[in-house]
Amino acid sequence: MSFTITQDGLSKLVNEWLARGKRVAGPSRVKRDCILYVPLQGPDQLLLEDFIRPANSLKEFLFPKHERLFGYRINGNGVELFELEPPKTEQLLIAARPCDAAALPILDQVFNWDCADEFYNRRRQLTTVVTLACSAHDDACFCTSVGLSPCAERGSDVMLVKLDRGKYEVRCHTEKGRSLMEGRLEPSDQVASEPLGPEKRFDPAEVREFVKHNFASAFWQSEGLTCLGCGACAYTCPTCHCFDIIDEGNANEGARVRNWDSCQFSMFTQHASGHNPRENQPARQRQRISHKFDIYPEKFGEILCTGCGNCTRNCPVGIGALSVLTEIGHGEHL
Amino acid sequence: MNEAGQFEPKIVAYVCNWCTYLGADLAGTTRLEYPPNVRIIRLPCTGRIDFNLIVKAFEIGADAVLVSGCHPGDCHYTAGNYHARRRWILFRELLEALGFEMERIHFTWISAAEGRKWQQVVTEITEQTRKLGPYKNLYADTGNGSLPIPEAAPAVDQPAGSEGSLRQRCHQLLADGTVKVVIGYGTGGPVCVTKPADVGRLVWNNQCSSNLTTYLKRQEVRKLGRAAIVVKVCDERALVVLEKESQLDRKDLHVMGMACNGMGQPKCATCDVRVPRFADEVIGEVASVPLAGPPNAAPRGGAALEVLLAKSPAERMACWAREFERCVKCYACRQVCPLCYCERCIVEKNRPTVIDPSPTVKGNFAWHITRAFHLAGRCIGCDECTRACPAGIDLRLLNLSLAKAAEEHFGYRAGINRDVEPLIGAYSLQDKENFIR
Amino acid sequence: MANIYKPELVKVIATRQQTPDVKSVKVCFQDSGRANDFAFRVGQFGIFSAFGYGESTFNICSSSNWKDYLEFCFRKVGRVTEALWRLEEGDVIGFRGPYGNGYPVEDWKGKNLIFLGGGIAMPPIRCAIWYALENRRDFGDITIVYGARTVADLVYVDELDQWAQHPNVRVVRCVDPGGQTPDWKGEIGFVPHVFDRAGGSSANSIVLVIGPPIMIKNTLPILDRMGIPHRAVYTSLENRMKCGCGKCGRCNVGAFYICKEGPVLTMEDLERLPSDY
Repeated sequence: MSFTITQDGLSKLVNEWLARGKRVAGPSRVKRDCILYVPLQGPDQLLLEDFIRPANSLKEFLFPKHERLFGYRINGNGVELFELEPPKTEQLLIAARPCDAAALPILDQVFNWDCADEFYNRRRQLTTVVTLACSAHDDACFCTSVGLSPCAERGSDVMLVKLDRGKYEVRCHTEKGRSLMEGRLEPSDQVASEPLGPEKRFDPAEVREFVKHNFASAFWQSEGLTCLGCGACAYTCPTCHCFDIIDEGNANEGARVRNWDSCQFSMFTQHASGHNPRENQPARQRQRISHKFDIYPEKFGEILCTGCGNCTRNCPVGIGALSVLTEIGHGEHL
Repeated sequence: MNEAGQFEPKIVAYVCNWCTYLGADLAGTTRLEYPPNVRIIRLPCTGRIDFNLIVKAFEIGADAVLVSGCHPGDCHYTAGNYHARRRWILFRELLEALGFEMERIHFTWISAAEGRKWQQVVTEITEQTRKLGPYKNLYADTGNGSLPIPEAAPAVDQPAGSEGSLRQRCHQLLADGTVKVVIGYGTGGPVCVTKPADVGRLVWNNQCSSNLTTYLKRQEVRKLGRAAIVVKVCDERALVVLEKESQLDRKDLHVMGMACNGMGQPKCATCDVRVPRFADEVIGEVASVPLAGPPNAAPRGGAALEVLLAKSPAERMACWAREFERCVKCYACRQVCPLCYCERCIVEKNRPTVIDPSPTVKGNFAWHITRAFHLAGRCIGCDECTRACPAGIDLRLLNLSLAKAAEEHFGYRAGINRDVEPLIGAYSLQDKENFIR
Repeated sequence: MANIYKPELVKVIATRQQTPDVKSVKVCFQDSGRANDFAFRVGQFGIFSAFGYGESTFNICSSSNWKDYLEFCFRKVGRVTEALWRLEEGDVIGFRGPYGNGYPVEDWKGKNLIFLGGGIAMPPIRCAIWYALENRRDFGDITIVYGARTVADLVYVDELDQWAQHPNVRVVRCVDPGGQTPDWKGEIGFVPHVFDRAGGSSANSIVLVIGPPIMIKNTLPILDRMGIPHRAVYTSLENRMKCGCGKCGRCNVGAFYICKEGPVLTMEDLERLPSDY
């Protein structure tokens, strides 16, 4: 016994949310060869089948690439600071991949350890996540290696698992999910089979062990050699969350804003004195892997990676985390 | 708006200190009346009037921009205005492709004696802009414009045996110490091979579309010592540009040219040379279509650029606004570009902040205009920026608009000829100026 | 909405040019209520902002006993510090903080204190010196060795004299060879060597050493020879920071977030970290 929803039912849901002035975002084909999570204008833009995953991640709906933190106004010697409108639009993230949804509970931690980032938290409260279990994977996918799977529940309020074309089994995981789906489901005897995930590629514990003890290893030199130092991996990663804070405006008024930033950029850690703790690309690559598989686990008890494979797919020179991780896993560093 | 509630245009005039500023001054001292809509910004020379200043003026609300300096031959610094003129010719084409309203951008030569011309020009421009109304369409996504999708050439297999010959030669070069590293293609991405035993990692197949010459700027790779690099004819053009710009000493490099049948990319559809011409050695043989004589003036933008340029300016602007909305500023476009080699990019400089570093539509326009124009007359059309973009932004069309302009106006193709001076950085007294009043 | 990125407003009450490119600025809270309940520990830092230019991180170099104002000191090197350089009395800037752990002054009670500083590293030591002098009975002998590249680069020079007036306080000042003026009466040499030459008791000592990495590196063998254990040697790390509260992801050295668990740590702690600083 299960509950199901049809594609029409999902379209109706999208339409209702949009009609109430709320935001709905989901995967959409923005052009040939480019699928992204975007705010939807209507259900016809929503892509439900025949794709692996969008090239961007869900994080931008909770932690946008650009965000105004507060405004300032200057008159003479005086300064006036004012809060900008806090996030208040409810949003539905629909047909998200489980590897994207799983990133949200992970990000909750860093945005809330000892002081809470209300910008993130507000959006999080206003968000309902409907995931769509994966029925296919590609060479870059490695969710199973980091303890997730094509139908991992983490971070989902509701999960859809494909039955026949145009029909989905619905699994409500939270109260939010249940109230979203209330009155929309039909009972059915069909139960979706558990989709197969990619084969396990490495053991995160081994990676952690390696990272801990090989800070000065020549391995990083060879890994960092072909990296070009762009931020494509970090910016499309569901869990990367580094940011920059700058002022934007003129001498009279403006706002302090935060923008995404990446540990792969050469200026990221450069001191005012000119000294740079991570002055070459191998050091920056090492930081990225260490942060995900050693530092974050040490701080928060879990890996800062959901195995989505975006870093590999989006890397212009085919590096990504996966190749590094599998090399470590296979002992190729030895 | 004026007191009567009518629109009063704001016009920014960038003028040179020696001619136009004095011309404007003369207009004042001789009591010539003209509309007060112009805000004059004085710079030493038109050669100093950075294109970013023009963009910036629009960004902060100008309805029109006037750029004016000394007449040809009158430059206080000998040739500043000639250099400026050449840049304007190209820059106008870029703005055109982006869908700027060109009737809001004006160029003039006004001498210190031409107070009356200043009066006349300002009056005309003000009237014209008043009729146009406020510049509402700047960076506006007004419709459902979407960029044309470029046509790709069919993928063809590479010459048989080339891969084997390549490995063999690289083995020799590494073994006899001619080079310390081979920068080549591997399965899944570029590889740097330093040991003869590892040459098996090198591949040559129809997945080798990327341009490896970007590694020549990486300090980590440079440190390895003298390099051999695997290039196709399109990549080779980057070497020519780098050499002309003194970024490269060919003595430090061994160039392995690969005869190429095309990689099935859009760039291959307009490629007319298949065999590298300046390589230290060429591997493989293909049916070559040699470049006959000097480059001709046929547009090589391909159909997609033609489709874009056939749209209205508002539609073009809408197309780009929609594209740039997706830009996250990961700078993959910059990092993969073999010709973006500045140690510190202008977008990382903040004294002053010329380009808004935020990934907003405004900041993204500023970045992409800058990126494209810094490659004017330099971009060799390898399309790496487009390939690298995780948001699928078709940057090649901007590059192509500039390449087309360089070819049409100056008969110039970047990286084709080792004996020609870089396009920007040189000038000719004959550069056309029919757009300058 | 509680906004952790929004600073409090502080008013500049005095500025002072210390060297050709270093200034110190005293600020007080605009909100007098806040001035009363604000407390911090010496060694903590703040994030100061010039609106329209951005934020920058500086140690709070005044003593935590002083209630009237906060002081910070900076070298003019970039966009923000150039804006701060132009500050005048009465201007309003932003302050977030205090952040970081501060010096464990409670643990230092009953010990002799050795302060070693180089160049612009004086301010983060200065707050600890004043704190120690104001609680003089809690501490034993105090040795201060302070050096800079040239005489003109020494900051808080007048305070060096004031400190030397206190009983059982020894102040040694030095400049790098070639940096002296004809009337220079201090030592000539690098801080570690000058400290070595100056000699003195090492028993029961706490060392606070802050300066460029090379200075710290050359100081350690001397301290080793003196038998001072690395757990008694403190420093303050200064990595680039943006948020100050463990989120923006750039100040970490391994799993050590300087903004939260630092900036103060012992050499023993530091040696356990990867050399990513």
